[in-house]
Amino acid sequence: MQIEIHNLTKVYNEKRGLLSVSLEVEKGELIAVIGHNGAGKSTLLKMLASWLLPDSGQVLVDGINLGNRLAVVRKVGFVPETPNLFDFFSVEYNLKIFARLFQVPFLRIEEILKEFDLLPFRNNKIRVLSKGLRQRVSIGRALLADPPVLLFDEPTAGIDFEMTKEIYRLLKDFHALGKTIIFTSHRPEEIKTLSTRIIVLHQGYLVFDGSPQKYFQSEIHEKLYL
Amino acid sequence: MIIRNVITLTLNDLAIAFKNKTIYLILFIPFFVFISLKLVDREDADFKKINIGLIQKEMVAPVILQAIRSAGGVFTVFRISNEEEGKRWLKEKKIDGLLLRSEKERNSLVLVVLKKESLLTLSIVESFSALQKAVEGHSINWISDIKPLHEGRIQKQTLPTWILMLVLLVSFIIMPAQVAEEKEKKLLLALLQTPMREIEWLIAKLFLGMMLIFIAVLFLHLLGKFDLGNVLSYVAFIGVGSFCFSSYGIFLGFLCRDQASARTLGVIFYLPHLLPSALSDFSQKLTAVAPFLPSYQFYEPVKSILLEEGRISNLSLEWIYLLLVGLLTFFFSYLLMKKRWLM
Repeated sequence: MQIEIHNLTKVYNEKRGLLSVSLEVEKGELIAVIGHNGAGKSTLLKMLASWLLPDSGQVLVDGINLGNRLAVVRKVGFVPETPNLFDFFSVEYNLKIFARLFQVPFLRIEEILKEFDLLPFRNNKIRVLSKGLRQRVSIGRALLADPPVLLFDEPTAGIDFEMTKEIYRLLKDFHALGKTIIFTSHRPEEIKTLSTRIIVLHQGYLVFDGSPQKYFQSEIHEKLYL
Repeated sequence: MIIRNVITLTLNDLAIAFKNKTIYLILFIPFFVFISLKLVDREDADFKKINIGLIQKEMVAPVILQAIRSAGGVFTVFRISNEEEGKRWLKEKKIDGLLLRSEKERNSLVLVVLKKESLLTLSIVESFSALQKAVEGHSINWISDIKPLHEGRIQKQTLPTWILMLVLLVSFIIMPAQVAEEKEKKLLLALLQTPMREIEWLIAKLFLGMMLIFIAVLFLHLLGKFDLGNVLSYVAFIGVGSFCFSSYGIFLGFLCRDQASARTLGVIFYLPHLLPSALSDFSQKLTAVAPFLPSYQFYEPVKSILLEEGRISNLSLEWIYLLLVGLLTFFFSYLLMKKRWLM
């Protein structure tokens, strides 16, 4: 198993958070985590990305405890819903500073700029870019160290239809390269043909874990979305 | 419609002001200024007796001594063993002025005060003039010279206050906002997605604060061309102070979720650290309160180095205190960062 999650819990208040979630993820899976607002999707991903510390429970990535942050950061890349980049600096500067911290050669920046069609924008300041472009820079940054696990929190939130298709194409490409991908969405119809597995969270509880076919035939889908 | 929207938005803005604690600042500043004004002894200034020190073994003209003693409502006389002790009492504000026998003119006195250009000095001289006029019918000669303990021009005398202001401005206004901005924009979390250690980020921030303080102080000296006193001691003390207060400022940043709250909290800490220390020269009450503040432990040594030729080797307690405050706040920041506090 690439990721093992045991009784992961994070409570913000009585109604929000994640309550004793356990699951296992195999290498190369493309998992969609769905649920309404406040279901605990982002909380789950943020804990996997070490953004949040769990109240209890344990997460192992390739057998390494998530608490060992320095060992895990090279294994997990996280793309948050709102790109968190240095707005007042250029695309290239942003990638450079993170490349330095990851200790990857600057040649990798050129690869990223090319791969994500960012070459024409390399000297543009982040604040002048559209959300879609900023999201591409954010994805590029997450891929700098070439981590085997990629986490995407609402990757298509607030971006147009064309860019949404582009993001889904990227997810498929990363999956084809053998990467393990977990992403959140609150629009299950959109990810019908994309994911290999669907996890449904509702009010902090894991209420469904199975294939997309099973999910769309289940009562859960009817209850939550129809 | 327009009025309704304006009211809605105004109420919303007020709610935001409550949320980011700006409203507390609005209440806090007048309250704090009021308290400070109370503490600078203004209210009872007219009734306060002047504390005068006289050296025990020194022969003072009997007529002067008699006059001072008989004016018990104006002066309180303290007998002090020697001149050194008298100067120490003056620094500690136990006395307002020290009278020494003039070596130039017989039957005259030299008045030693903290600052020559001050209301207190004026008040002492005026009181002596009035006393002499009442006893001898003229008002010259009794005080033939006034010697300030702090030499130099008024600009240099106020230099420690400006230095303190700069240090606190960088530490309590700029640094917390800087830290809170990185938290607010989730940049710190992005950096924590890399193999960067928490302590590395904290040290980098500490260096930033110290550099900004050094640049500000250097700029002030370049503009003013002030005499530095003992340069090595001065630079070392600015270094210790900038470490302490930068660390303090970073810690304050960690207590806030966003920039607006950080600025508010910064001001709330800025004023109580600045005013009691800077105004301690004017008030005995503030002198009693101020030593509890790290800012006073920075201000007094800087004043001593700049104005009284003090050296860092004689100020070990102060720099150890500042170092400890810096280390303690650094440690708390580290714990809060590890806990991803308000991130």
